[in-house]
Amino acid sequence: MATTVAAPPYPGSYSKQESGLWSWLTTVDHKRIGQLYLYTALVWFFIGGLEAGLIRWQLRSPNAGFISADLYNQLFTMHGTTMIFLGVMPLSAAFFNFLIPLQIGARDVAFPRLNAFSYWVFLAGGLLMNFSWLVGAAPDGGWFGYAPLTTRAYSPGPNIDYWVLGLQILGISSLAAAFNFVTTIINMRAPGMHFMRMPIFTWASFVTQFLLILAFPIITVALTFLQFDRFFGTNFYTVAAGADPLLWQHLFWLFGHPEVYILILPAFGLVSEVLPTFSRKPLFGYPVMVYSLILIAFLGFGVWAHHMFAVGMGPIADAVFGVTTMLIAIPTGVKIFNWLGTLWGGSLRFTTAMLFAVGLIALFTIGGISGVMHSSPPADLQQTDSYFVVAHFHYVMFGGSMMGIFAGIYYYFPKITGRLLHEGLGKVHFWLTFIGMNLTFFPMHYAGLTGMARRTFTYDANQGWDVENQVATIGYFVLAVAMAAFAINLMRSRTRGQRVGNDPWGAPTLEWTLPSPVPVYNFAELPIVTSRYPLWDKQHRGHAEVPTAPETETHTAHEDVVDVVSEHRGLPGEPQHPTAADLGIHMPSPTIKPLLAAIALTIPFVGLLMNTNVPVIIGGGVLFVAVLYSWLLTPVEPEHHPPVSAGHSAAPKGRPRADEPFWSDR
Amino acid sequence: MATAAIERHDAPHHHSSTGLDNTKIAVWAFIGSECLFFMSLISTYLIYKGRNLVGPLPHEAWTDPATGETFKAILNIPVTSASTFVLLMSSLFMVLAHSAVVRGDRKYSKIWLASTALAGATFLGFQAFEFTEFVHAGLTLKRNLFGSTFFTLTGFHGAHVTAGVIWLITLLFIDMKRGLGPRDAGNVDVCALYWHFVDVVWIAIF
Amino acid sequence: MPLHPSRRRSALAALTAAASVFLAACSSEVPNSTLTPNTDLGRDIDALWDILLAGGVVVFALVTLGLLYVIVRYRHRPGEPEPKQTHGNTALEITWTLIPALVLAFIAVPTVRTIFKTQQNAPADALQIEVIGHQWWWEFRYPETGVITANELFLPTNRTVSFALRTADVLHSFWIPQLAGKRDLISNRTNYIVFTTDSTPTMAWNGFCAEYCGSSHANMRFRVYTVPPDEFDEWLAHQARGPVTAGAAAAVPSDTGATAAPAGQAGAPALPRAFQSIAELSQLPHIRPSTPLPEMAFTATEGDAARGAALYRASPCIACHTVQGVSPGIIGPDLTHVGSRTTIAAGLYPNDFEHLTRWLKDAPSLKAMNYPQGNGMPPMAPGLPNTMAGYDDQQIADLAAYLLSLK
Ligand code: HEA
Ligand code: HEA
Ligand code: HEC
Ligand code: CUA
Ligand SMILES: [Cu+2]
Repeated sequence: MATTVAAPPYPGSYSKQESGLWSWLTTVDHKRIGQLYLYTALVWFFIGGLEAGLIRWQLRSPNAGFISADLYNQLFTMHGTTMIFLGVMPLSAAFFNFLIPLQIGARDVAFPRLNAFSYWVFLAGGLLMNFSWLVGAAPDGGWFGYAPLTTRAYSPGPNIDYWVLGLQILGISSLAAAFNFVTTIINMRAPGMHFMRMPIFTWASFVTQFLLILAFPIITVALTFLQFDRFFGTNFYTVAAGADPLLWQHLFWLFGHPEVYILILPAFGLVSEVLPTFSRKPLFGYPVMVYSLILIAFLGFGVWAHHMFAVGMGPIADAVFGVTTMLIAIPTGVKIFNWLGTLWGGSLRFTTAMLFAVGLIALFTIGGISGVMHSSPPADLQQTDSYFVVAHFHYVMFGGSMMGIFAGIYYYFPKITGRLLHEGLGKVHFWLTFIGMNLTFFPMHYAGLTGMARRTFTYDANQGWDVENQVATIGYFVLAVAMAAFAINLMRSRTRGQRVGNDPWGAPTLEWTLPSPVPVYNFAELPIVTSRYPLWDKQHRGHAEVPTAPETETHTAHEDVVDVVSEHRGLPGEPQHPTAADLGIHMPSPTIKPLLAAIALTIPFVGLLMNTNVPVIIGGGVLFVAVLYSWLLTPVEPEHHPPVSAGHSAAPKGRPRADEPFWSDR
Repeated sequence: MATAAIERHDAPHHHSSTGLDNTKIAVWAFIGSECLFFMSLISTYLIYKGRNLVGPLPHEAWTDPATGETFKAILNIPVTSASTFVLLMSSLFMVLAHSAVVRGDRKYSKIWLASTALAGATFLGFQAFEFTEFVHAGLTLKRNLFGSTFFTLTGFHGAHVTAGVIWLITLLFIDMKRGLGPRDAGNVDVCALYWHFVDVVWIAIF
Repeated sequence: MPLHPSRRRSALAALTAAASVFLAACSSEVPNSTLTPNTDLGRDIDALWDILLAGGVVVFALVTLGLLYVIVRYRHRPGEPEPKQTHGNTALEITWTLIPALVLAFIAVPTVRTIFKTQQNAPADALQIEVIGHQWWWEFRYPETGVITANELFLPTNRTVSFALRTADVLHSFWIPQLAGKRDLISNRTNYIVFTTDSTPTMAWNGFCAEYCGSSHANMRFRVYTVPPDEFDEWLAHQARGPVTAGAAAAVPSDTGATAAPAGQAGAPALPRAFQSIAELSQLPHIRPSTPLPEMAFTATEGDAARGAALYRASPCIACHTVQGVSPGIIGPDLTHVGSRTTIAAGLYPNDFEHLTRWLKDAPSLKAMNYPQGNGMPPMAPGLPNTMAGYDDQQIADLAAYLLSLK
């Protein structure tokens, strides 16, 4: 057997009492929270995809009367908002959660309970926003909610209220998570894990957290203004009081453009993990890959007004923003070419994960090129707000972010569950996605260039857009079959997928030294890292245990799954491995408080929606503060000896709390 | 084993790559975020300053052409200077409180924590006074752009001060109950960091 | 103008790739194509587009060919040894930093040049037109002559036009794909877009609102007719006068006298030639709207313009609509010459008896509108929600006949 990594003596799994519903509600384990993010976000993604289906069905032919203008407007608003804030961002967060501690050699994130809180707040925000469908008043202001259309004067209903408040809640979740991951990456790296040894996904995540930290407060302010205008009668966007609608646009896009890099950089990171593994070559130009991430993020803050070329900013601003936007193509191009350099000379094995990763290179490039076409302001005057833009952003977000995320899911599923996703279904998923995606979105370029404006619930006959729209609608159905294959694959492989050992792909990074699934405590002992690719370390090449591609064909869909269904490892659910306690590892105790805090935090927002019900708002606020106190005053871990590093003699027994820092930091 | 590159060792349980406290890093990140938050608020205030269609205005009197009613200039530099001074002093008290905690000086840690909280509360008192004055002078949240931006900006700052005061009182309470010592320095440090930040923001606003 | 050599080269490179796209764009199958411009601004944009397309095709071809090559050439083969472990190559990486930078320079220079060229102030003799966006229709004003019209724009050929863009409510965007790019209409601001029309024969173009503006954003369209300058002047002079109500004018009951002014001018019923020259164009398949009418019972088949005129003067319509000399309303479109327009409801329906009567009977069922919360057109038949009048079908037919007579 071509086992390259010996199965460790502590095959990991959760014991029975750790798998009930309560355990999920109280979990503070980053791996479980990662899974919660993953499955929740996939559900939202499917809902967003269903909304896209209704959109496509309405647009299949001119003057179709399938849905009303108002419903259509709600659909595209919720489709865009859902895909971005409830789909791609939390899918990325799923990987941040699951992977970052594993990749840097940590037992958990810096603040495990804050992490659980982020998840529950995200769930609450998504539920609140989608609750609007049930009351028949889903948001309808477009995903970038331009004022003054979104002010009370022009949108009197509760629709926009759901949108504003939902996004505010989601912002809290993203920010809390970002503080957490920044701290984790800065401070929890295993010994020897220098910054320039960090796996590239961790780097991409690190940069993304900075984007989140710096971009989200801006939209928080923009939304707060809108919220105050709508609820308290302030004048930030009140035209009659002399307000300038461009205030919203500048604030929104000052957030919004960094946001699109928040959507793509994690996908870039995932792909940068997948490509080396299946090329059996290190990432080409690792340092440059890191610098380009940083440069993209940095430039990303200076280009926001390219969404506003039609607002009449004047020639100087147009020129400046046009040129700075173009500059971003350079670091992004470096990434594309370095990926090609990684593949070049490799030994490429086209697993599903690899197919999606290569698919990203192809499709994202198309989206990037249309982005550069937008960046020329005069040319953009024809393209903006037409279907050309719709084509651009689906190529970068579906062809980029989603492809990268799919690659990541196929690649890391065995690490998450101990089982492989089915490769055959995976290939169906990939090829139908690739074909369907091009069928759906490529014709949109042409529809846009031939005059079709976006966000139109209908279009007249004989305008020259019939074929494009028909093809796009057909493409949607191809995509829907692809996604159904994916959903089936996920559901069946969770319980029936092929079992694997630590490192089914022969991958190089730290997380693959761990059993699959990973035990609660991740690392029984903290590793010392001495290279960027510990599992491929050069000096060990040629030794028997060096990862080499197996020559024997196995019965699996792809030839090189290293079959380490090991004798050491029992059935899942059978605690055959030492528990954390056995190993003397102190893990954070499960607690319901993050969930309670998330619920309490949501109450004031619900109160605002209930006709600004003051008692509910104040009650919720007080409850939140109370839960927060109770949370912060409970130690994160079960009582144990004070850390030696505190350099302080033990305090009297029996009052362990007095001895801990009085609030646990997490 | 292929994990040869990863030697195992018994790391201390609370491992930290930088030697810094996790909370401190997180609070720095939080402050970074807050900078952008207040920058957005302050920019809006500045952008909208000259766009008011009706008074009252910050620096000059304004007469309503329709009614002939005159609104006096709103901003009262002496009062604001006094409250700014109080807030600045509180930062000093905070520094003293922190060093008292590091020394393990239970008496002065209490005194200085209490002074800091009190100074913060005094600032809030000034702010409440000013807000009522302004409302009497005709400036409300809804009145004009100046009212909306001014109250939102200073209101958010006030909310931050309030949170800080609550934090300080919590520290004080713990100090009285079981005493704050050097082992708590990190936590007091974080509070101090936040408090100084809130202070600096006020200077920027002022 | 001779092409700059570098431009010629890149244009050449793109030619093959773009040929199919371009040819298709020229055909009448794509009547709103941005790739067949008919103004100076449109052509400047299109020239940039050609450069962008060329650059894009080159980059796309490069990456795709590279990718395909790598996929085929380096596919894993059984028995293959471990590949050589390369970690990077500084020279190569610098090369592929510089090459995109060069491509971008080719794009950036003409871009900046075009920005400054196309955003100059209009010459003093340019035709001034004010565009005012409403949820969800367009108001067009010719300030020099005081003409106000709606949803149909007449432009002289071969003349520089300067549009001043404003909105009465939320943001909109003014877009005539075959003439020029978009400009947004922004509250509390005035935006400008300037272009010079080509010296084409009389032509009809479609215009659209391109900034999402609420329920009927998709239904906020307009028509543009470019007519020769002399016909344009004639049209403008005609619009500046009251309506020519042709035969109907004489039949207006004389007891009110309110219609005396327009009737007087109707003495010379010569309609501008432009009406004739656009008549056929307005029936082109892509110009004449084909929005289906909702099911609606309507019994009257013919209306009487004279009765309609009398009815109009006592109707709620006058609160919202202007007919010069008759009614002063300004909430809805100016109807002074509504009978001469080819479409109603912002390009959504053809302007004929069938569509107009349905519109007057129950406009909200024909177009999503903000009524009664906003300024939409209310229904006029009895029994409908928020109806404003109890007109039976015959009365509505009369009103329609009257409106159609307002040439
Ligand atoms: C994942 C998200 C994502 C990403 C990564 C990008 C990437 C880019 N985007 Fe995109 N963009 C969006 C999401 C994204 N965008 C969204 C959602 C909108 C619409 C919002 C809305 O209106 O609803 C939008 C809109 C948008 C606009 C506004 C259009 C308009 O409304 O008028 C512009 C204008 O400049 C733009 C430009 C760019 C550019 C230059 C890049 C660059 O980063 C791309 C760089 C990459 C490449 C260029 C390809 C690889 C490079 C090479 C192979 C090197 C050689 C290349 C050249 C020399 C060209 N984008
Ligand atoms: C990451 C972001 C993302 C993603 C992945 C998508 C995915 C898709 N989008 Fe999205 N889209 C946006 C972001 C995204 N979109 C944004 C930001 C806007 C702008 C909104 C605005 O203007 O405000 C937009 C707008 C937009 C429009 C323009 C609407 C308009 O302007 O009027 C259209 C039109 O076709 C469209 C189509 C699609 C389609 C067909 C998909 C497909 O790829 C979807 C594929 C998914 C599926 C097919 C899943 C369906 C699931 C099932 C069928 C069930 C499967 C089975 C089980 C559950 C067992 N989108
Ligand atoms: C409450 C205001 C209001 C009243 C009353 C009203 N209208 Fe309208 N009308 C509008 C508005 C607003 C529009 C533009 C609707 C649109 O296209 O979105 C309109 C559009 C029209 C149009 C189409 C104009 C065009 O060029 O597109 C006609 C014709 C018309 N109205 C006739 C009438 C008649 C006849 C009456 C009375 C029986 C009437 N209106 C009463 C507000 C009103
Ligand atoms: Cu007006 Cu869209
Ligand atoms: Cu952008």
